[in-house]
Amino acid sequence: MSLAAYAERFERFAAALPEAERAARRAQLQRFVADGFPTPRLEEWHYTDLAPLSQRAFEPAAGGNAALAPHFLAGTDRLVYVGGMLVSADSTAPERHSAAAPAQDEGVYALNAAFARDGLLLRLGRGERLPRPLQVLIAGADGAVAAMTHQRHRIELAENTEATVIFQFLNQGGGGLATHVIDVRLAPGARLNLFRIQDERADATLLTRCDVRQERDSVLHAVSFDCGGGLVRHDLNILLAEAGAETGLYGLYQPAAGAHLDNHTRIVHAAPQCRSREQFKGIVDARARAIFNGKVVVQAGAQKTDSEQRVANLLLSPKAEVNAKPELEIYADDVKCAHGATVGQLDETALEYLRSRGVPPAEARALLLRAFATEVLDHVPLAPLRAALAARLGLAGTDAWELEA
Amino acid sequence: MLEVKGLHAKVEGKDILKGLDLSVRAGEVHAIMGPNGSGKSTLSHVIAGREGYEITAGSVQFDGRDLLALPPETRACEGIFLGFQYPVEIPGVSNLTLLKAALNARRKYRGQPEIDPGDFLAWVRDRARLVKIDPKMLSRGVNEGFSGGEKKRNEILQMLVLEPRLMILDETDSGLDIDALKIVADGINALRSPERATLLVTHYQRLLDYVQPDYVHVLARGRIVRSGGPELARELEQKGYGWLEAA
Repeated sequence: MSLAAYAERFERFAAALPEAERAARRAQLQRFVADGFPTPRLEEWHYTDLAPLSQRAFEPAAGGNAALAPHFLAGTDRLVYVGGMLVSADSTAPERHSAAAPAQDEGVYALNAAFARDGLLLRLGRGERLPRPLQVLIAGADGAVAAMTHQRHRIELAENTEATVIFQFLNQGGGGLATHVIDVRLAPGARLNLFRIQDERADATLLTRCDVRQERDSVLHAVSFDCGGGLVRHDLNILLAEAGAETGLYGLYQPAAGAHLDNHTRIVHAAPQCRSREQFKGIVDARARAIFNGKVVVQAGAQKTDSEQRVANLLLSPKAEVNAKPELEIYADDVKCAHGATVGQLDETALEYLRSRGVPPAEARALLLRAFATEVLDHVPLAPLRAALAARLGLAGTDAWELEA
Repeated sequence: MLEVKGLHAKVEGKDILKGLDLSVRAGEVHAIMGPNGSGKSTLSHVIAGREGYEITAGSVQFDGRDLLALPPETRACEGIFLGFQYPVEIPGVSNLTLLKAALNARRKYRGQPEIDPGDFLAWVRDRARLVKIDPKMLSRGVNEGFSGGEKKRNEILQMLVLEPRLMILDETDSGLDIDALKIVADGINALRSPERATLLVTHYQRLLDYVQPDYVHVLARGRIVRSGGPELARELEQKGYGWLEAA
C-alpha cells in the first residue's frame, strides 16, 4: 500500500503554512500514513472498503465556481463553500466562517486533520438564539478533476441557546474526495436542529463525521437525507454526557443507481435520564447498496435511559442491497430500550387497491413511497426545505398538509 | 351495460366460475346471493380486474367494450367501482390524497383538467356528511385504524365521491350493525339513477330490506342456478341455500 502521493501533496501544502501549524499537521499526516485507509477488516468498516483510495492521487482543491443559486433556501442565512473555499459573494453570514485550527484525529480523519482549512464556526453565547436557520452549502467546483477537500466545522452552543443549521453536500464530482468533520458541543439547555443533505454525483467519494457532545437537558434534533450517488459514508456519534439530554436522529436514504451509501450512528447514554429516538428509512433500487448500522450503548449508571431505534427499508429491485444492523449494548439495569429493523417491498395489496380506484400504477407507487418517506419528512419543520427534499426525492404530490393548507 | 357470457375463471388452478351468464342494464339493481364458496366474490373481482384470477373461457363486456382486456385502473376510469369486502389500510396515504388522485385520474382519462382544490374539498366534505364520516378522518391514512363499520362507510364515501356507473358491492353489509347498514344503504340509494347500475353481492337478505333489488340471482357451484325478483331473496332467507344447491 502506498500513501506516498498523499505525503507528497502534504509537503507542498505544508510549505505554504505558518511555521507554527506545520508540525501539528505533519503529525496528523504521519498518523494517517500509519493508520492508512480503513479496510473491511475493521468491524466499523465492514461493508465499506476505502483501500482503493490508497492507489489514487488527489490534488488539494483550490476554490472555483459552481452554480448553486437554485439551492439557496428562502428565509435562511448562508455560507457557501466551493472547492473547499468560502465564496464570499454568495455567503450572507461570513462572520460564521473560520480557518480551522489544527486538530487531532485518527484513521482517514487524520488525513482530514492534516489538510483541513476552512469551515463553519458557530458559537452562540448564553441565551442567544440564531435568528434565522443557517444553510451551509458545500460543493465541488465546476470542471474540477480528482480534487480533494477537507474541512472541519464547529458548533458550540452555550447554555439555553437555540440554532438551526443545514449542511448540504452537493455535486462534488470529477472523481473527487471530500472529508468533513462536524464537531458539536451543546451546553446545558441548548437546542440544535441539524440537517444534513447529501446529493453527490456518481463518481464522488464523500466521508462525513459528526460528533456531538450533549450536556444537561440539551436537545439535538438531527435529520439526514441521502439521495445522491457515489461512495458515501456518514458517521453520527452522539454522547449523552449529562442527565436529561435528549436526542432525536432521523434519516431517509434513497441512493442513486450504483451508489454505495453507509450510514453509521452511535448513541452513547453515559448519564441517567436521557432519551434517544432514532428512525431511519431507506428506499433502495437498481444496483444501489445501502448500509445502516445503528448502535446504542447504555453505560453502567445510565439508569432511566429511554431509547428507541427503528430502521425500515424498502427494497425495490432484485439487484439492490441493504444491510441493516441495529445494535444495542446495555450495562445498566433500569432502562427502557427498543429496537427493530425491517426490509421489505411495496405493499402489493395497497397498490392493487389504489389501482382499483383508477390511480395509474406509477402514481400509486409514488403515493406509497411518499407515505413511507413522510414519517421522516415530517421531522423537517422548515417548509421550503421539506418541499425541496420532497421534489428531489421524486415524492412531491398531494398529501394531507398540502391539501389542508 | 354489463354482459357476462359463459364466464369460466380459476383461482390457484381451481375452477371457481363455471359458465356464468349475467346481463345488467343501466338503472337496474341486481343482487347476487349464494352460499360461501359459490364464487360470488370471484365474480365481482373478475369484473373489477383484481389480480390472481385466470379467465379460461367466456367474455365480460361493459358498454360493448371487452372489459377483460383492460387493466383495473382503466376499468375504474370507465366507471366501475368495487366496494371491497376487506378494505385495505394504507398508512401514510390520507383519504383525501387517495380521493384526489382517483378523481383526477378519471378526469385525465376523459381529457378534463384537474379539479380545483377548493371545489374538491367542498365536494368531499359534502359527500362525507352523507355517510356520517367526520371531516377530521379525511386527513388520516386510508382506513388506518378504522373500525370495520368505518371502513365500509369509507368505501361508500369513495363511491359517492367518484360517482361510478357500475357499483359492485362485495359483501359490504357483512359485519355491520343496523345503524351502519342503514348508512351504507342510504349511500347506495343516493347514487341510484337511470344511468347507473348496481351489483350487490351478499350472503344475507338483510341489506336488501334497505336497497330494493330489481333482480335476485343465486350463485352456486360457479353458475347462476336461479334468478327471480325480490321475493326470491325472502324465500332464500326462509329456506336457506340447501334446496338450491341440491337441485
